[in-house]
Amino acid sequence: MALAAAGSRRAFESYAIWLLLAVTMTAAAGGIPAFRHPENIANLLRQSSVLGLLAVGQTFVIAAGMIDLSVGVVAGLVVVLSCWILAAGVAPEIVVLAGMLALGTGIGVFNGFLLNLLRIHPLILTFGMLSVIQGLIFTLTDRSIGRASPLLQDLANGSMLGVPQAALLLLAVVVVFHIVLTRTRFGHHLLAVGGNAESARRAGINVSRVRLACFAVSGFCAALGGLLLAGRLGTGYPLAGSGLELDAIVAVVLGGTALSGGRASIVGAIGGVLVLAIISNALNLLEVSAFVQMFVKGAIVVAAILVNQPRSEP
Amino acid sequence: VSALVSARRVSPGDLVGRYAIFFVLALVLLAAVLVSDAFLQPTYIGNMLRQVAPVGIAAIGVTFVMILGGVDLSVGAVISLTSVLCAVFMNGDPANMPVAIALACLAGLTIGVANGFAVAFTRASPFILTLGTGIMVLGLTQIYSGGTARGIVSPGFREFFNARIGGVLPVLAVAFLLLAALGLAIQRYTLFGRYLFLIGSNPRAAYLSGLPVAQVTVAAYGLSGLFGAIGGLALLARSGVSNTLSGQGFEFQVLAAVVLGGTTFQGGRGGIGGTVAGALVLVMAFNLVIISGLPYHLQLVVMGAIIILASAAYGRLGGMSG
Repeated sequence: MALAAAGSRRAFESYAIWLLLAVTMTAAAGGIPAFRHPENIANLLRQSSVLGLLAVGQTFVIAAGMIDLSVGVVAGLVVVLSCWILAAGVAPEIVVLAGMLALGTGIGVFNGFLLNLLRIHPLILTFGMLSVIQGLIFTLTDRSIGRASPLLQDLANGSMLGVPQAALLLLAVVVVFHIVLTRTRFGHHLLAVGGNAESARRAGINVSRVRLACFAVSGFCAALGGLLLAGRLGTGYPLAGSGLELDAIVAVVLGGTALSGGRASIVGAIGGVLVLAIISNALNLLEVSAFVQMFVKGAIVVAAILVNQPRSEP
Repeated sequence: VSALVSARRVSPGDLVGRYAIFFVLALVLLAAVLVSDAFLQPTYIGNMLRQVAPVGIAAIGVTFVMILGGVDLSVGAVISLTSVLCAVFMNGDPANMPVAIALACLAGLTIGVANGFAVAFTRASPFILTLGTGIMVLGLTQIYSGGTARGIVSPGFREFFNARIGGVLPVLAVAFLLLAALGLAIQRYTLFGRYLFLIGSNPRAAYLSGLPVAQVTVAAYGLSGLFGAIGGLALLARSGVSNTLSGQGFEFQVLAAVVLGGTTFQGGRGGIGGTVAGALVLVMAFNLVIISGLPYHLQLVVMGAIIILASAAYGRLGGMSG
């Protein structure tokens, strides 16, 4: 009985995000004629793609029972550095782009390495890293520098067969990482670690390596999101990524991934990203002030965190 | 209770952890004096105390919450809100000062109590929860101020707090030290202070022993909001002008001071004395960065590194048990 009840509750949780998405979409499309315009929908998908990439990486970290607050500033660092280096023209574009992805992955690996070495809570670790990277960005520049290359701008703003390329890129990443999470040994191991790290260790899983790999995935996704963001902004704005980490966490939580770890859905996280994007887009179309939007954003964070609570005893 | 607490104190690692920050403070002071003898001048020390007062006062409240095993990241936003609120209600008239100060404190207390209720009666992560309430409060502040500097500080407010007692110690610095003494008294000599440590070191055991966990949680977050509000007033007194984003990023400095002082993220350990020493180390480190001619924004890098390394060091000392 209890098991069946838990099963149906879990089933409801995995569908809840699609219900929420349907409601917000219907409300926005029904209430705001401008929302239905194809150009607005395309723009919405482009906006969602950056956050979507960050949410994919965050899903891995949260599924393993951790959290990564540094993804926003990693994306911001990539925005500033890529625009700066591309405008200076000191290296071939492909080298710069690959270097940025390597940088993001490297920061993720460094996070994982520090976590395993120092054994401190991932929240504290990545909160400290947030401050460090933000300081590095501001030391580099406190105003917008450089310019995104035509390739990045086209990737972020262009369309292929009527579909935004950014959305296609996100789709490809989602497919790959969904398979990694659900169909590979690494995916099973990371869910085991997130469910109960001690049991996973006793079962012979290398917990430290799994955690390091999760942060590497998160750093890679953040860097990819940063490149897309650079293309959208067109310039290296030093505050580009700030606050994105919370949006990503909220999207992941809305999508049915447990903050306590062990249960995850990448597709659900994308549903969460779309819900956040639709709400933001609708508020923009209704000409609600940025300040009220900030309040609404905070309220969504609080609501999401109160709904998604660990159920087991502390 | 006292027998329990003194039994807990026997561990040598704990003993080192308890006093480590004061050794660090002495070392940083020594390094600072070697770089510049200005660090020995009473006026400069008074200036540093005044400079760190807003962060230090807010950190006192956050220490209560972190001893309990929680955290409050909404302090930065509370500081911004209360300083704007106070300036608007002062409206340039000294007669409005008492009402404005009382309203600002009430606002901070209300936000803290709301945080406390959310933490006490749900199992939501206080870290993310207070980040969320922080954004809400920041939004409210911006709506209220219209996104610009609003309100006029009463004449005499800034002058009073920046006046130097005996030509040396600013009143604001004295106010900070008095509030620290008050916090220390609450932590040491009240039942509430004892409960904080007992709940923080083992919430489940505390609950099963019949301690009023929920009430203490609400009170601790309420105090954090109140001290955040007083920190906002201190910031207003220091600068004398209202600014809608004045407290932005303060949560990093506050957390760094508390963690540096030995109050760990796991709860059950640390205290106000360490936090005050932590805040002093932080402000001296910042001044050293500036004096050495390093870029201003390296402060953020130093602070982040301090948060990470201090957490790790105290974790090691406590044998990961705390």
